[in-house]
Amino acid sequence: MDLSIDHVTKVFPSVRALDDVTFQVRAGEIHALMGENGAGKSTLIKIVTGVYTPDSGRLLLDGVPAEFASPREALAAAIGAVHQERNLIPRFSVGENILLEHLPTRNGMVNYTEVHRQARGFLDLLDRAIDTRAEVATLSVAQMQIVEIAKALSLKAKLLLLDEPTASISGHEAAALFAVLRRLRAQGVAIVFVSHKLEEVLSLCDRVTVLRDGKIAAADDPIASVTRGRLVSLMIGRDERVADIGVRNASLNRTVLELKKVSTSFGHRDIDLSLRKGEILGLYGLVGAGRTELARSILGFGSINAGEIRVEGQAAHIGSMHQALERYRIGYVSEDRKGEGLLLAYPVRDNIAITIWRRIAGILGLIAPGAEAKAATPFVGRLAIRAPSIGAMVSTLSGGNQQKVSIAKWLAAQTDILIVDEPTVGIDVKTKVEIHELIAGIARDGVSVLLITSDMAEMVTLADRILVLHGFRIVGEVTNSHRYDSTSAAVMNLIHAVEPATVGA
Amino acid sequence: MRRIINAEWAGLLAAIVVGAIVLAGVSPNFLSEFNFYVLLRSVCVSIVVAFAQMVTLAVGQMNLSVGALGGMVAVLFGGMMEVLGVPLWLAVPLAIGIGVAGGLVNGLLAAGTGINGFIVTLATASAFTGVNLGLTKSVPFYKMPAALQDFGNGRIGALPFLLIAPLIVSPLLALLLFRLPIGRRLLAVGGNSQAAALSGISPGNAIVFAHCLSGLLAAIGAILAVAQLGSAQPLIGSDWLLLSFAAPIIGGTALTGGYVSIIGAILAVLVIALIQNGLVLAKVDPYWVQFLLGALIVATIFFNRWRARPIRLG
Amino acid sequence: MTDQVLDSPRRRPFVLGQQAGLVVVLVLLGALFTSKSPGFLSSFNLFVLGRSLAIDIVIGFSQMVVLATGGMNLSVGSIGVCVVMMGGYLMQTAGLPVPVACTLALVLGGTLGWLNGFTIARSGVNSFIVTLASANLFSGAMLILTKATPLNALPRSVAAFGQMRIGGGWVSPMLVVAAAIGVALIIFYRFSVIGRQSLATGANQRAAEMSGVPVGRRIIAAHALSGVLAGVAGLLTVARVGAAMPAVGGQDWLLPSFLGPVLGGAALAGGFVSVGGTMLGAALVTTIRSGLLVMGIGNFWLDLFLGLFLLAAVLLQRYRGALSLRFRVQGS
Repeated sequence: MDLSIDHVTKVFPSVRALDDVTFQVRAGEIHALMGENGAGKSTLIKIVTGVYTPDSGRLLLDGVPAEFASPREALAAAIGAVHQERNLIPRFSVGENILLEHLPTRNGMVNYTEVHRQARGFLDLLDRAIDTRAEVATLSVAQMQIVEIAKALSLKAKLLLLDEPTASISGHEAAALFAVLRRLRAQGVAIVFVSHKLEEVLSLCDRVTVLRDGKIAAADDPIASVTRGRLVSLMIGRDERVADIGVRNASLNRTVLELKKVSTSFGHRDIDLSLRKGEILGLYGLVGAGRTELARSILGFGSINAGEIRVEGQAAHIGSMHQALERYRIGYVSEDRKGEGLLLAYPVRDNIAITIWRRIAGILGLIAPGAEAKAATPFVGRLAIRAPSIGAMVSTLSGGNQQKVSIAKWLAAQTDILIVDEPTVGIDVKTKVEIHELIAGIARDGVSVLLITSDMAEMVTLADRILVLHGFRIVGEVTNSHRYDSTSAAVMNLIHAVEPATVGA
Repeated sequence: MRRIINAEWAGLLAAIVVGAIVLAGVSPNFLSEFNFYVLLRSVCVSIVVAFAQMVTLAVGQMNLSVGALGGMVAVLFGGMMEVLGVPLWLAVPLAIGIGVAGGLVNGLLAAGTGINGFIVTLATASAFTGVNLGLTKSVPFYKMPAALQDFGNGRIGALPFLLIAPLIVSPLLALLLFRLPIGRRLLAVGGNSQAAALSGISPGNAIVFAHCLSGLLAAIGAILAVAQLGSAQPLIGSDWLLLSFAAPIIGGTALTGGYVSIIGAILAVLVIALIQNGLVLAKVDPYWVQFLLGALIVATIFFNRWRARPIRLG
Repeated sequence: MTDQVLDSPRRRPFVLGQQAGLVVVLVLLGALFTSKSPGFLSSFNLFVLGRSLAIDIVIGFSQMVVLATGGMNLSVGSIGVCVVMMGGYLMQTAGLPVPVACTLALVLGGTLGWLNGFTIARSGVNSFIVTLASANLFSGAMLILTKATPLNALPRSVAAFGQMRIGGGWVSPMLVVAAAIGVALIIFYRFSVIGRQSLATGANQRAAEMSGVPVGRRIIAAHALSGVLAGVAGLLTVARVGAAMPAVGGQDWLLPSFLGPVLGGAALAGGFVSVGGTMLGAALVTTIRSGLLVMGIGNFWLDLFLGLFLLAAVLLQRYRGALSLRFRVQGS
């Protein structure tokens, strides 16, 4: 099936999500859709899948105009999608989830034997190990994403849209997915592939369309005609600016955080880690390696079964985030910005000041009117947070600005140690650079940073040293040469040495 | 056998068995045919009421008007027969229809306006009670048809006729929720309404359906209660609310939706009835019932904790 | 996510605010009822209304402080009656001076609430279930211990307080108590660190926790406070009735405890409360109740009107909420 997006415009109350967007996806091709977050990709997908309707413009399927009033109608038109967020029913089985849109019935009742038989078929294309009778709630994040992909495949769609399908999977599963997509392409399915991973796009896709700020930056360009650099410049509107991180040398400073032979209830064993003052220590690993869990163990979630943690040389027993902050001056920028990093329904001002309410309070624990604004305003400027006012609700801000607010509160708290977890996932390239400079800047000022990221380029830009985590164990340490090729090779070698079959994306 | 042991309601079953043994030891009357009859009679209405709440919990909603709707249906049922002379065979379907209509109001308001079902049913509960009291001025309808009274009092050995209702309703409900697509859609919406919507299921429809079903079950409960009491009392339903939540929850139904346990709810009702029965037989202060009900919920909480699955992060 | 209007706790244009609407309706209703029955605005009637209102307001506060942290308290009535009977026992049987008895009874209320909060915070179990259990436990224990016997030989001063009329005969001191608590709560939620942290806990517990807020402690504190407030409502009832009755509270308080806060604009999911709104909401309910009685519509149909009115009010809120949301976004 051919899909034609014809001058589609979609406007929301505070933003023009799509502005006169036109491009074509042909049957039998894998068409990449790229753009920073907020560029309009997810909105476009939601229009094609019937969640939204365009304000102007139209969709054409095989040349025929199509209007969808609901997802059900899009499904009926043989359009399937894997969205960015997980959309599974937790207490239903894998099989039932895969076939949810079209459960096979016999005599009016659901035919479970058939459900599991068919589901098994689709699942085997990607991962034989998942049991179709297992409850989805018991699966890992990677497994859930695979189930979602199997679900989309079961629709036998003629048009398939995938929004960041490899966000949580890597290695074999990603390779299996690409094999399936290539096979579908050969069968004449039209595939729209949204991904931030440039390497994937370059190796898998036939043509690419780039969105920027809701408008087309490039449409239907054959993949052969673009390079990584060109793609990036199309997405941000100018060439990729490398962060100016300045010069730092923390190698002779004292150790502020130390983990000695730590084992945790999450499954870590024998973790040795030492973080020096003003240093940026990277913690690299593939999805599922246990990095976030390690960070949370330090902050008092889960329990430490063996070994010890020392802060500034003293043995530390951190029981909660509250303790981590108040007593040990440790902060944490969560990878889950919307769920854990921010109070979306509250203003920017409150979100920044939340960590310092106690400090700005006067007698009787009361905060004077205006004290909050006074404390929070400097950080709006320092981080270049773009918001209508300091009283604006955080939910109305763009992803990049939201992340800045989420970081700002830790700057306000003036922590000595800051654990930063995936700081620029889903952030536009321009803001990404600003955040990198920010992190480098606070390290220069003496804050010790433990940086967790899956973005190798980011790691190479920022980290002084890189600890490599795999399977909840430290498999090695790499001193960062700040040159992408040598450092990434060194890191990957460490991972290969432990598990040769797993190739990082 | 293994499936029974691992089932979530295994604990409840064990509690019933143990409780029965203890009671048999404490009082010889426990094992009498008459006592079993009394025991079984007391659970008929409760099981249906528990189901009425369970189906709204399934879709991720709450129905605070379960008791009020039941009371209103009960007096309208009794009133239409005594005052309007409507024959029994017509009054029953009419009463059920009123229950469904009440549920429809709840469902349409909750789904159509986006107002939280909690508040909607809080309001309609008040409204239904108002209709109930307004029509009856708190005076029951006493002249119920003989056939109804016979049904309410009749039995075969220890098995009351009233038991027919839960015996028919339970498997039908199980069929609906576990084998029919419409029931699966209901649970899907309760499990993750956004995901369900993206899969082409209409959350609004599921919510309306669930509330209608709840109203229907509440109406059945009301009719049974009238049969059991032999009169249509405005007080019917006034003590249903807490029980309607307690039984499904103790039985393992998820408060947030998406998962129900029919067997669990039935067993929970049985446990509660056993406690009440036991207290009467042992001549213990009836005030202990409430306390033990609370203790039972606490026990369920701890039992569930003990079986909790570990959660993995990404 | 909450389906209520997501407004900042301050900065709301008064014209479109919840409170304004309620005041308007109140005035209209007051005019309506007075025109049908002039006795409605008599000092005696207002005095009687004021007493009921005070109790409903405090019951509403008791639920509100828990709603603030994102939970709910189904044991408001049960704690209330436990405090009532404890207070009665201490005053009548133990012969303690009234202030001492009241204080100790309130301590019981706070302790019962603390138990709720502690269980919820430690076990992570939904507050609905925990307070469903504790409602039964507390009421049951109370019934077992008191054998449901009312205590009506309380010291004179208790009933006297209930009968007292100040402000020229219009106002009951109970209303002053309720208002004072209201003022304290406003200060608490707007200006105090603990209050702000409690609201943040309700808005998004995980995010609050990850920002260093001791959420466990805040939830426990909210429930303990709820228990104390339920106790205050109970003691006020004792003063009004002149006796400690085990029939007080229980499930009767469930509806009023939600009506006030919800009509007043509290978010059912937590994070936002309106003290003024809760008071106005309670006022609205009391006015309707009394007005209908005065108009001779009779006790029996009361609940129907109450229910219909609640629906209308909530519908109106939703409609107005949609309006104000659009207003704010265009202006920003």
